[in-house]
Amino acid sequence: MKIKTLTFAIALSTLAFTVSAQAHDPKEHMKNAEKPDCSAMKNMDHSKMDHNKMDMDDPVMQAMMKQCMKNMHHDENSADESHDDHQKDRNDHDPKHQH
Amino acid sequence: MKVYIKSLVFTGMLILVGGGLFLYSGVYPIGADTRHNSLTYWLLETLREHSVARAASDLSIPSDLNNSNRLLSGGADYNDMCVSCHLKPGMSESDFTLGLYPTPPNLSETAAEHGHDHASRADHDGALKRQFWIIKHGIKASGMPAWGPGHDDERIWSMVAFLQRLPELSAAQYQILSARDNSIDE
Repeated sequence: MKIKTLTFAIALSTLAFTVSAQAHDPKEHMKNAEKPDCSAMKNMDHSKMDHNKMDMDDPVMQAMMKQCMKNMHHDENSADESHDDHQKDRNDHDPKHQH
Repeated sequence: MKVYIKSLVFTGMLILVGGGLFLYSGVYPIGADTRHNSLTYWLLETLREHSVARAASDLSIPSDLNNSNRLLSGGADYNDMCVSCHLKPGMSESDFTLGLYPTPPNLSETAAEHGHDHASRADHDGALKRQFWIIKHGIKASGMPAWGPGHDDERIWSMVAFLQRLPELSAAQYQILSARDNSIDE
């Protein structure tokens, strides 16, 4: 009986240890994570940034585009929004646009 | 024949006793700042390379190592776990490269800068398997840890994929590929 209890205890502690030893989650690194400096892409060789000329089959280029696409779209949207806001301000203040 | 066996046993005993005395005397300089002599270095290096080659020979290389997602996964992991010892573009040394012995290889250098080139396809595949195995299992008493216990094979293969492109990256490209936080600032 004692052996059975001991075996059960060992099996339980082994299972608990196994479950706790999970894979190293990338989220653990997020505390000190850097953001991609996508502005540096604008300073790279501009001929390569031309969609017609750059090698989009190159995995490095594809990976950089994936990293920066989200930021670029966000910048474009921000620029559009600020342009719209600016236009709205102008319309509000321009008597020609007041009806 | 009897004399031959006696002298063989005597020599064996002498080696054992001498080895024991050397082991317990503490005269061996164990500090990392004392270099191995060339014979010891050759013995350890030969032992390491043959052991890794044998152990890694049965590995199968994933067919999608050129996938850009692997570069992003491998780049972020390399930056978090490897860069302090194995450096990155624009970095020539660190406290670890100055202090560890053997000195960790600078993986941001090209094969030519390392002084070797993977000429044939078999050599190239062997190098990929070797890198995977070393990342996963580490190397005893060298400072290279085994990353296998905390990282699955897919993540380790992604690090291998990133290593293939690392030597040709500029510092700016490296930063973009290895940045883990891709959330957008509001």
